[in-house]
Amino acid sequence: MQVVIGIALVLAAASVAGAGPLDTPGAMKALNCSACHGFAGQSAGDTMPILAGLWPEYFKKAIADYASGKRPSTEMEPYAKQVIQFGVDDYAAYFGGLKREPTKIAVDATAAGRGRAAAQPCVICHGPDGRGDRAKLIPDLAGQPPGYLKNQMMLFREDKRSPGDPSLKAIKELMKSLSDDTMSDLAAYYSSVR
Amino acid sequence: MARMTRRQFLTTSTVSAGALAVAGLSGCALFRGETDATNRRRVVVIGGGWGGATAAKYVRLADPSIEVVLLEPNSKFVSCPFSNLVLSGARAIGALTFGYGGLGDYGVKVRHEMATAIEPDAKRVRIGDGTLAYDRLIVAPGVDFQVEQVEGLAAAQDTVLHAWKAGPQTVALARQLRAMPDGGVFVLTVPPVAYRCPPGPYERVCQVAWYLKTHKSRAKLIVLDANQNIVSKTALFRAAWQAYPNIEYRASNKVVKVDAAAREVTTDFGDKVKYDVVNLIPPQRAGTIAVQADLVGADKRWCEVNHLTFESVKAPNVHVIGDSTIGLPVPKSGNVANAMGKVAAVAIVHRLNGKQPPELAPGNTCYSWVNDREAIAVVNTYKIENGKVVQIEQKLTPGQSAAVAQNSLGWARSIWNDVVG
Repeated sequence: MQVVIGIALVLAAASVAGAGPLDTPGAMKALNCSACHGFAGQSAGDTMPILAGLWPEYFKKAIADYASGKRPSTEMEPYAKQVIQFGVDDYAAYFGGLKREPTKIAVDATAAGRGRAAAQPCVICHGPDGRGDRAKLIPDLAGQPPGYLKNQMMLFREDKRSPGDPSLKAIKELMKSLSDDTMSDLAAYYSSVR
Repeated sequence: MARMTRRQFLTTSTVSAGALAVAGLSGCALFRGETDATNRRRVVVIGGGWGGATAAKYVRLADPSIEVVLLEPNSKFVSCPFSNLVLSGARAIGALTFGYGGLGDYGVKVRHEMATAIEPDAKRVRIGDGTLAYDRLIVAPGVDFQVEQVEGLAAAQDTVLHAWKAGPQTVALARQLRAMPDGGVFVLTVPPVAYRCPPGPYERVCQVAWYLKTHKSRAKLIVLDANQNIVSKTALFRAAWQAYPNIEYRASNKVVKVDAAAREVTTDFGDKVKYDVVNLIPPQRAGTIAVQADLVGADKRWCEVNHLTFESVKAPNVHVIGDSTIGLPVPKSGNVANAMGKVAAVAIVHRLNGKQPPELAPGNTCYSWVNDREAIAVVNTYKIENGKVVQIEQKLTPGQSAAVAQNSLGWARSIWNDVVG
């Protein structure tokens, strides 16, 4: 009896052969991304953003900016060029179609509380929970790894991300007014938003 | 892998749980040399390192109806990346050591046994007295050492350590370094290319030099490099070494002999160098089973492969990935092996389902720590041109920094998860 059930299940399994979770062009092309950004864009590390759930147009802007050096990054510039080489639309559609699971990197609740209190100036653009504004390509910060969020704030402060871009003047001025500790608190807060 | 993703994966592959139960019923019979009673497709993977473990997992992810058996004699995966930091004491070996249990969640059957031979005509692998049939075989045995190239090394391997496969030798070399007298001489030898991890010896130089500078200020580190210059990240390592006046670097000094009793190595010029501790990294070739199965080229060292599928040019239905390969413009790195594992897995699943494999290319992200808190990096990406892997770009960090070191920690956490998580 056990064998019969087993064989039936084998046949059922055979019928779905090839229909695994990698069976789209974007999923296969994105396999190189998973070394750093995790399988299905769910980054396990603290310094790499979670790609799952990124709006396709935001993903494509980020790739274009990394490839051109507007967002300078030793790691991302070559990979962005590879993504463009293989077809950025496939990657963008794949990651955009996945749901972002919040980072597993733990943050200090007290720091997150301080961050929430300090987040008033951020709300103007990123919204009350940091969910961003898709039409303006202002990113959704909620649940991203804290290390990544803090790094971006520091890059803005030092004018190393999109240097000279007039549309980012306000955030850069804001970042110059923040201490490292406040940046850590803000990162903890937005990382912890569920 | 993150918990959510694993759950998600298991949800998508509930059908295969029954298939696994059946395979369990027939598994023992297969090991007695009988033919496969079911018509399930089976992929066998030899070697559970960065390439093999990744490939095993991704075949299952791509098609859960395919049975995957991974043959790996070691019970634990120990990461070579970051193992140089065990020598300086900046990391513990336990932080680099992982079980293979995570692969079981994907339905990979991990057997801690040694594949002893490959029989490509019969499409089976020999394991001791038994055999295991395959539809596709992935050979990922990493490197083995050409001990015979260094006179006296074969008899001295208990004390003359390579520590070039992370594990007990890493811990033993760290112990030798700690026990070395202040004022002593540590000799580190770099093998001629090609060898596993081009920047690895020079990162190790940094870590040993940092340890000596911090704990044994009168000691010296002599580097005997068989190559004409630092092989990888040359300018960045040169800059980092400015902080270590205790390094004496000698290029084009190939070590050909070791005398453990006299504590002395000899170079190909006949120069003799005394040591208190030696770290002799021998010349390398593809893992022994690849050589024995004649998957290697005329040089008897490395395996040539198809750039799109990693099929051996010498044996049908056999794919070779990772450090054992040659002919692609990629370094022998863990990240590249991981990428090759995915490309090969996708190609195999396509072939087993009668489809044309897509054109995918690897990438390489490679960090080296130059002291206890700063690192440098090189990144390479590739495309496919006329069926061959071609580099798109190589980029180096402008200098060493703590930020790069932080990125390396994120990379490690993520890629270890990708390989065995």
